Amino acid sequence: MATTTATITINSTDLLTDELSLSTSSTLTAAGSNTTGLANTGGLARKTVVGAHGQYVLFDGDDYTAGSHKIYLKNLSTTAAEHFVIEINSEQMGKLYAGDWCFFPWEANASTNDIKIDPSANDMVLEYMLLSE
Amino acid sequence: MATTTASLTITSSDLVGDALSLSASNTLHKAGTTTGLEQATGLTKTYLTAVTPIDLFGTILPSGSTGNVSTYEGKSHWIYISNKSEDETEYATITIGDKVIGRLYAGDFMWMPWDQATDALDGTTKHADIELAPSVATGMWFEHCMIHEGMKLPTSV
Repeated sequence: MATTTATITINSTDLLTDELSLSTSSTLTAAGSNTTGLANTGGLARKTVVGAHGQYVLFDGDDYTAGSHKIYLKNLSTTAAEHFVIEINSEQMGKLYAGDWCFFPWEANASTNDIKIDPSANDMVLEYMLLSE
Repeated sequence: MATTTASLTITSSDLVGDALSLSASNTLHKAGTTTGLEQATGLTKTYLTAVTPIDLFGTILPSGSTGNVSTYEGKSHWIYISNKSEDETEYATITIGDKVIGRLYAGDFMWMPWDQATDALDGTTKHADIELAPSVATGMWFEHCMIHEGMKLPTSV
């Protein structure tokens, strides 16, 4: 069984009067288990959207069975206004601006439950990884 | 301007042949700028005793608005949710605009952008709220916060 650990840290000394220093770690396991680690990954990958930009299917719900999958995305642009629109099952989640990353569970509970990306400009680069059951 | 940094590490020595050691960090900015986010809900701890879905982060439209108007649509909001249960079978289903994102099992966390976009199912007056539904009614603890560019609060009645 693979052991994969994810840790998030959120820090700020001046957002609030009290210093913010939040840290949470999680061992990534299969649905309903704390002993069976996520065993599959497509590896850390990068996609450059060349030419005319448009919406792309990054992960197709048809390709996975429902489970406790985890998705990591990062916009590698350094131009502040450049962003990727992230969409799940045709519902807009949010925008990843330059340097932003996100990490969230993905159930892939339906064939329509695709993860789609839509870059705001040509030649933007997205770094991504799926950890799956 | 506040400086808030979010960092992620993912490590594994045995998931693949090459040890995985991913590290990402970013400063939270207002949409399309390099100006730091200045507002936050604060880190909240919640105990839920029903499986009924709740609006953890909802979109409130301006009073008297007609049609699809949200003052803060397109702004930068960052959502953190953590399931503090210690029972491996207990999870929370997280949805956006009634579409399932995924399940947070015991100990899991998520960090995602949210821009209060129009609900694809409705498209006229609703926006894609973030909902949470516990898997059991015996009581589950959650931590959550939002660091954001602005949101409308309910008008007093």
